[in-house]
Amino acid sequence: MIKTLLEFSQSTGIYGFMNSAWGWPIAESLHFVGLCLIIGTVGVFDLRLMGLAKATPLKALHRLVPLGVAGYLLNVTTGIMFLTTAPDQYLFNPAVQTKLLFMLIAGINMLFFYATTATATRATPALAQAPLRARVIGTISLTCWLAVIVCGRLITYYRPPYHWYFWCQ
Amino acid sequence: METFARFENTPLSIWFRESGVAFFSTLTLHSLAMGLVVGINIALGLRLAGFARSIPLQGLRHFYPLHWFCALLILLSGIGLLIAYPAKALTNPLFYLKLCALSVALLLYRYFQNWMASQDDEINPTPHLRRLAIIMLVLWIITITAGRFLAYTHWVLLASHLS
Repeated sequence: MIKTLLEFSQSTGIYGFMNSAWGWPIAESLHFVGLCLIIGTVGVFDLRLMGLAKATPLKALHRLVPLGVAGYLLNVTTGIMFLTTAPDQYLFNPAVQTKLLFMLIAGINMLFFYATTATATRATPALAQAPLRARVIGTISLTCWLAVIVCGRLITYYRPPYHWYFWCQ
Repeated sequence: METFARFENTPLSIWFRESGVAFFSTLTLHSLAMGLVVGINIALGLRLAGFARSIPLQGLRHFYPLHWFCALLILLSGIGLLIAYPAKALTNPLFYLKLCALSVALLLYRYFQNWMASQDDEINPTPHLRRLAIIMLVLWIITITAGRFLAYTHWVLLASHLS
């Protein structure tokens, strides 16, 4: 697995770029910009779902979400650049695994939102409370994205003991 | 450099630096608060710049308290990080670039806040305001980039460890 990822990184030029003088911090900066785009669009939409800024119609705020998707794609791209350049540092890191878990929960939560609640939510007028299910979905979504930031910090600065993570045993 | 070295040997600086929980919590709080502040600024900046014009600008005023609370957290956690490694930041020009970009971006946010408070419900940003909104977004990108590069460009980590 590690060998395959490294070969991919080397054959695509990612490895060379990431090991250049400024490749890694440039990718990190883009990664954080992408995360801020998600928080500024999906996160702000989540806050409105949760009841903040009720004067803003949900339908209008939802128009920012495609930019959040752009931020997400930016993060997936830069995330792949990190992972394939130093797979040993990431694959076995519990903080990365937890981060991916929260991203998965956020993804499933989003699919559930669009499958069950989006239509009713978009119809919510200004000053009205979003449906209860939408409020719960918004809370889960924002919590997940904030947890992703926390786990992202954990990756490089503080690696929790492995016994905290039973699946690493 | 001697002043930095003396400060680094104070119990508070040592605690921030060597207590894993204190440093990690401060750093994480800094990132979370940055994510929320920049996120809210992006939403306002994009709207002012002309995206998603159906969003009523006055509705976004409800994000002000959360924004300024998080801005305060950035300041406090930033001071905490500075206490831990004063020489690392204060001897790096990128730190001052980050500080300037962040301060001007927050001042612009405050300017937009005041402008919106003086307007009616139906407000349309002037071309001048649109340009300022784009400048604010660029300033946030500079703030983030300078912040990330700080970890890679310092020439001194601890003044007390210099021989």
